[in-house]
Amino acid sequence: MDIDVKNLHPLEVKLLRYVNAGEDITEEKIISGLGYKVGQCNQAFSWLTTKGCLEEVSRTKKTVYELTETGRSMGAEGVPAERIYAFLKEKGAFTMPEIAEALSLEKSDVGSAFGLLSSKGALRLNDERKAEVAGELPEEIKMQHAILEKAAVDGSLDESTLSEAERKAIAPLAKKRGASSSPFRIQERDVVVYRLTAAGEDVKDAVIKANITGEEFGVLTPQMIQSGAWKNGSFRPYGINAPTSRLIPGRRNAYSEYLQWVKDKLISLGFEEFDGPLVENEFWNGDALFMPQFHSARDIHDVYYVKDPVHAKEIEEPWLSQVAATHENGWKTGSRGWGYTFDHEFTRRQVLRSQGTVLSAHQLTKAHIPGKYFGVVRCFRYDQVDATHGADFYQTEGIVIGKDVNLRNLLGLLKMFAEEIAGAEEVKYVPGYFPFTEPSIEVHIKHPVLGWFELGGSGIFRPEVTEPLGIKEPVLAWGLGIDRMALMHLGLNDLRELFTPDIESVRTRRGN
Amino acid sequence: MPKIEVPENIFYELLGKRMSDDELVDIFPVAKAELDGHDTDNHVIKIELNDTNRPDLWSAAGVARALKCYETGKIPSYEFFSSAECEKNSEGRMIVNDESVVGIRDYSIGFAARGKVVDNELLVNLIQSQEKLCTNFGRKRKTIAMGIYRSELIKYPVHYAAVDPDKTKFVPLGMDEELSLREICEKHPKGKEYGHIVSSFSRFPYLYDDNGDTLSFPPVINSARIGAVEIGDSDFFIEVSGPILDDLLLAVSILSCDMADMGFEILPVKVRFAKDTPYGREITVPYRFQKPMTASLELVHHKLGEVLSEKECVEAMQRMGVKATVNDGVITVQVPEYRNDFLHGVDIVEDVMIGHGLASFEPVMPKDFTIGRLSPVEEFSRKVKGILVGLGFQEMMYNYLGSKREYIDNMHVSGDNAVFIANPMSENYEVIRPSILPCLLESESVSGHAVYPHSIFEIGKITVKDDSDNSGTRTIDSFGFFSSDVAIGYNDAASYINTLMYFLRKEYTLKEVDGDPRFIPGRAAQIIYKGESVGIFGETHPQVLESWGCSMPSIMAEIDLNKLMK
Repeated sequence: MDIDVKNLHPLEVKLLRYVNAGEDITEEKIISGLGYKVGQCNQAFSWLTTKGCLEEVSRTKKTVYELTETGRSMGAEGVPAERIYAFLKEKGAFTMPEIAEALSLEKSDVGSAFGLLSSKGALRLNDERKAEVAGELPEEIKMQHAILEKAAVDGSLDESTLSEAERKAIAPLAKKRGASSSPFRIQERDVVVYRLTAAGEDVKDAVIKANITGEEFGVLTPQMIQSGAWKNGSFRPYGINAPTSRLIPGRRNAYSEYLQWVKDKLISLGFEEFDGPLVENEFWNGDALFMPQFHSARDIHDVYYVKDPVHAKEIEEPWLSQVAATHENGWKTGSRGWGYTFDHEFTRRQVLRSQGTVLSAHQLTKAHIPGKYFGVVRCFRYDQVDATHGADFYQTEGIVIGKDVNLRNLLGLLKMFAEEIAGAEEVKYVPGYFPFTEPSIEVHIKHPVLGWFELGGSGIFRPEVTEPLGIKEPVLAWGLGIDRMALMHLGLNDLRELFTPDIESVRTRRGN
Repeated sequence: MPKIEVPENIFYELLGKRMSDDELVDIFPVAKAELDGHDTDNHVIKIELNDTNRPDLWSAAGVARALKCYETGKIPSYEFFSSAECEKNSEGRMIVNDESVVGIRDYSIGFAARGKVVDNELLVNLIQSQEKLCTNFGRKRKTIAMGIYRSELIKYPVHYAAVDPDKTKFVPLGMDEELSLREICEKHPKGKEYGHIVSSFSRFPYLYDDNGDTLSFPPVINSARIGAVEIGDSDFFIEVSGPILDDLLLAVSILSCDMADMGFEILPVKVRFAKDTPYGREITVPYRFQKPMTASLELVHHKLGEVLSEKECVEAMQRMGVKATVNDGVITVQVPEYRNDFLHGVDIVEDVMIGHGLASFEPVMPKDFTIGRLSPVEEFSRKVKGILVGLGFQEMMYNYLGSKREYIDNMHVSGDNAVFIANPMSENYEVIRPSILPCLLESESVSGHAVYPHSIFEIGKITVKDDSDNSGTRTIDSFGFFSSDVAIGYNDAASYINTLMYFLRKEYTLKEVDGDPRFIPGRAAQIIYKGESVGIFGETHPQVLESWGCSMPSIMAEIDLNKLMK
């Protein structure tokens, strides 16, 4: 038996306790025995049948005469024929309109009642064309009155309980449907007989064993507490596995929570957060990173240009002169530079930040030594938007400055990120290439779910990047591709989903 | 990143042996290469090259050379290079640059090769190398254009001059009628693609031999006769033109080394320039132009965090194909002919690192103690988020780029303060959002199926014009919320603001809003904090809801967190 008796409704409990195996269970029996209303009775039958506790053993039709509102008032005041007869007997002869007026009846009703009564010899028209009493009130009319009174008790009459004479008498008073002007409405009803099933017997036993009576308290009300009424009974136990209703809480965005987690991890590793504006200029977006102005990644097809203002007003000194000289001839960095003429107008051209490293370059001009910095920053790339490319996306980047930081520290740092942030099982380093770092290292990790993939790029900033921005010390620079891990964390496979405007989708989204 | 496709047998022949894909995956990183795929049906190996400053690696021969060096430690020697000290015999082969090209496309240099009959595979491979150099390194032929010609048809010297584009005519490759240079720019597919590089000049570059026969119209198209190389040919003349001499010399060096590796004999060509160069007015090409580069052992030690002996450094460089010597603690490298990526001592350091083996460096944590710290705006944002979540709001995150229709038209605002992109890829991403509110409304417009009320918020960046800033723009950390339901109004918005400000300990006053088309008149307020307007809230104007296709009443608010934090 897989029914938890605690989940049964009190109507079901009481019914089960009331009935016995093998006996016929009918609506009539339950209504009279338990005082259920018809609706309650039907509910209990329906629920218990669905649960397999009751089974239907027979179904027969019966006809019921339901008293209408017309019938009710007729029962109280008398049927028109009866009232006309009594009126004439008491007051003498009257014309039809006079009768209708005196008894507040419709003229047509008076006419048909007179027709009936005169055909039975109870009334007749005199010479003045007035109606007067001629004989006894017919039995049929008397019986109609009796039937109406009988029906008034329950509001209806079962055809099977009527005598032959009663059936004859009720016929003219009843109509099949509608017509509230008739005293009775004829209803065809099913009489269903149920029996307790074997399962039903088990449930009944279980109910008794669990000492559930159906009279337990349902909801605890303040009144019950104040009056102490709760002391006089026990509480209905609730099924703890009943389906729950949906709640819609105020919630953080799951992707934003993930980014917050990454930030907190980096904070815990001693990094300080940096941030910056979305509009940059070519100087910071590329020149300061020692990317030559003719570098292919700085093409019109790779960077978004700002329409207005096209140029920044100025580039801060001494950074501009130092960077320009470094590009041209290496300045004092020990480099031979790129050997071209630095374009001072191009460098002021405004773009949307295309890489997080831009903020690392900014940070160099205000960094403390030793220092560790990071940013989780929005970048813009000139890419066709699809499942793996967004128009704008987050990059996680940072730097470590220290008198003696070196390649081995960089490897240590990458290992720490791989383990702490990515949960890597294995870490592999391979030489990489970035225009602003030398040496450059890519870190590949074996992730428990995603397998081997490139976690990020890193390196030691070239002296051509750091020295023109006032830093003599070595600077380790790193960037992590956390979007892939974010997608996995959120159970998604399309980058566009991270920024979906769909409220329902965001409401139901959760991290692993 | 350049990608190349290499026929298996050419690659294995250059390597001197067959290697399994697993072996290739393991060794490729020393050339910063990745195995991008292996089409075993067509016997083609696909390789992706990550170093954009090493064009010598963008060919089968280049990758094979790097791998072979790494495995054997043997540096290949190329005897056909001239230098400032030593000039090879050019046997009468010569290119004369006429003064007319100066300022248009300053240089044309070249070399010849012979001794190997090209088959289809070799020809395709050769053209691929040429294309990679011209497209990736030569910026779509702007700085490097290369032509390969049938050497036996040429009468030296070859002349490089700038000529009248309307009077000079020849039959270009791929056509059979004679066209003027200008007509080629207009009609020939290559002319349409590359003609713009020179079409703004009154005279166009032109290459012809001593008989007056056309070689090509650089950087656009070869002639259909001398410039039509075919399978079965074995004698070639290779010419490279462009405005930056070092790039041309490097391209010639790379291609001549590649062809030598494939079995060609390389034949020097003398070049007479039309102007002074750092190498004189006349040199013989291929020409070794690179100067030696140095790095102290101390720099190596400092950068790598490990003391390597002189011998270890020299051996490491040798595996990278670079001859090195150490004197008085300074490594001096002889830069290989086909490389020009040594800008600074740190470039030597990286080669030492790769040559020595990256795996041999033990990771170690930095010792410095530093304090971790969130940015002030992040800390403040977290407070705001906590309160909003407590008030039953769902945090959202949006893209920052969108369309004018969404950010401006649908909001019924002028958009004067919005920052547009000059080169949008599509009109769906043409402007940086000037406000969070349109994003919140977009959510409302696509979320009719979600159970109401909809209560959402975001903290993120917006950008507006601002003359007082150096950039003429200001990026703002903005906070916006939105709520829609059958019965919601100004008072609900005011209550949310009041609750938020109470818990943030911010004293504020309200000021009536005049004529903001986003809100119902008389049902919006400005938030004044420390005498400055920091935000706005109120009932969304039905004209805005209608534009977004929304039918539920709503309230919304936006606050400048940078101002509120003050």
